[in-house]
Amino acid sequence: MSITTVETWVEPPLRKFVEEARTVLALLLHPSGQVVAQFGFVRAVDVMSACALAAAIHASAGELGKQLEGKAFRGLHHPGRERQLYLAEAATQRGNFIFLTVFDQESSLGLVRLYFDEFCKNLAAAAPAEARRAEPVIEESFEGELNRNLAALFGRG
Amino acid sequence: MSLVNYATREITCKIVYYGPGRSGKTTNLHYIYGQVPDERKGKMVSLATQTDRTLFFDFLPLDLGTISGFTTKFQLYTVPGQVYYQTTRKLVLQGADGVVFVADSQARQLDENIESFQDLHANLAEQGIDARAVPLVIQYNKQDLPRDLVLTPAELNDALNFRGVPEFGADALHGPGVFETLRSISELVLKRLSTPVR
Ligand SMILES: Nc1nc2c(ncn2[C@@H]2O[C@H](COP(=O)(O)OP(=O)(O)O)[C@@H](O)[C@H]2O)c(=O)[nH]1
Ligand SMILES: [Mg+2]
Repeated sequence: MSITTVETWVEPPLRKFVEEARTVLALLLHPSGQVVAQFGFVRAVDVMSACALAAAIHASAGELGKQLEGKAFRGLHHPGRERQLYLAEAATQRGNFIFLTVFDQESSLGLVRLYFDEFCKNLAAAAPAEARRAEPVIEESFEGELNRNLAALFGRG
Repeated sequence: MSLVNYATREITCKIVYYGPGRSGKTTNLHYIYGQVPDERKGKMVSLATQTDRTLFFDFLPLDLGTISGFTTKFQLYTVPGQVYYQTTRKLVLQGADGVVFVADSQARQLDENIESFQDLHANLAEQGIDARAVPLVIQYNKQDLPRDLVLTPAELNDALNFRGVPEFGADALHGPGVFETLRSISELVLKRLSTPVR
């Protein structure tokens, strides 16, 4: 099973969820739309679009909830013809994350909800208190590389 | 702050094209989309009305290639410019690593540009982002229109660019200035990863 994560502490809870709830796709992301972990996607660029849309659904459902209910909706379920989608928020001391999962006949909404609750607990327990300190990541003289990459991207290479 | 994955050596940066309605934000993304080969871009997602006005956002993921051994990805977003989409603009702006302000160079749009530029700063402040610290470049778009309809970059600079950020005249419909704008914001955003943050 191939799970990719941006921060390693996310992996064990996510792996457990995917195995137990038997879902087809799973995505954990920041409310800004940045991916934290994914399972089931093939291309990285597809992960990014899914995150952008999931963040949008979450944000609009939250706003709609606030306007109609006085508070944000907790979870969202969308039954498709063959696959279903579940989207909800997971809170940790490292901030809130959006979780999106897609499942088929191998699983069910009940199972997904059950294991999602467990996933939230596991994730909160695994979350380290301090964010990794930001350190310089790339060399100061990155401009040449950037220019070459952009030129190639725009067919000017 | 840009997302850095040390394990897979990936950097992901979110760049938001901001500006008044009809200034050419979506057009910038369309032009970029048209230039970039398939293997380096994802699908362009547009949440738009039937008449093509941006309803929520446009989104274009790009694979920039390797920088300092890190696979670098850019996520380009546009916001809807119309005043009544305030909530949506705030949502899209969340977690932005850099902002491109696309101004409409038409003289009659000057007030809209100024209003939108102030709106950008207010929304950044509301999210606790120091507007003076966030990487920003300004694009004076539609410079291809007849001289008597548009203001020059120098005139627009006086009205908008009080921070002295990089600025570019552009014709997003045909391309001039689009690449230079993207190059400039990329550089500013990546520069933040090459110097320690206090
Ligand atoms: N002449 C000219 N028209 C442009 C330019 N950029 C955008 N437009 C036109 O302006 C209108 C609004 O553009 P759009 O990208 O949808 O604006 P947005 O609301 O900022 O996303 C469209 O009809 C575009 O074709 C430009 O550089 N020159
Ligand atoms: Mg638009």
